Amino acid sequence: MWSPQNKAILQLPVAVIRSGSNTVAAARSASALNGQSEPTTNAPTAGAIFMGTFATVFLAELGDKTQLATLLLSAQSGRPLLVFIGSALALVASSLVGVLLGRWLAGWISPQRLELLAGSLMLLLGSLLGLQAIGPWLTELFL
Amino acid sequence: MTISPDLLLLASTFSTVFLAELGDKTQLATVAISGTSNRPLYVFLGSASALVLASFLGALLGGGLAEVVPAQLLQLAAAIGFLVIGGRLVINALATKQEQS
Repeated sequence: MWSPQNKAILQLPVAVIRSGSNTVAAARSASALNGQSEPTTNAPTAGAIFMGTFATVFLAELGDKTQLATLLLSAQSGRPLLVFIGSALALVASSLVGVLLGRWLAGWISPQRLELLAGSLMLLLGSLLGLQAIGPWLTELFL
Repeated sequence: MTISPDLLLLASTFSTVFLAELGDKTQLATVAISGTSNRPLYVFLGSASALVLASFLGALLGGGLAEVVPAQLLQLAAAIGFLVIGGRLVINALATKQEQS
């Protein structure tokens, strides 16, 4: 799997991260140069990245165990503001860990391989989440 | 020395939520999006603000949106979002691979 060619690709993200710019944009512009490109050949804008991340994470988190725990703690303690502050700080910290982990991985794995891994992970998570959502409906239908 | 109950509540909420969130689907999604995106700052801002808003709804409004819209419908929307992002990444990676060979 790790051919000399891959090694050369691996150098790219490291160099690019050092210069503070973009790994995926490099991969995307490479694919655009080869004439095989998706409609969005430009790297997504900051606003699009923000909104995309926001919508995905927000929807996935509603009704999740963390939100239910927050709800419970808030009702139990009768101090909703304090619970909100504690929970918000924890969530911001966990986001930071996630983002840093992603950047760290980008320095080790070639952009293409990382896209494949990340994409497969998202497909898996999406399928699980989808099954969870339609599960009760499915059991009602077949049982 | 006594620890104020407020601080205790703050610390226990923080540790409960932080530990529950480690390795959760949201964090994995954040890893995936940040690893393949060029703007880690905006991924962080997007993810953090979504989580803070979700927890705001949980703590201060007591469930909030989940009472108006069924939770299953929201999960289904999130699932579709995950699938679309995942599909795009995989297609992109495979297209790049094809060009290289």
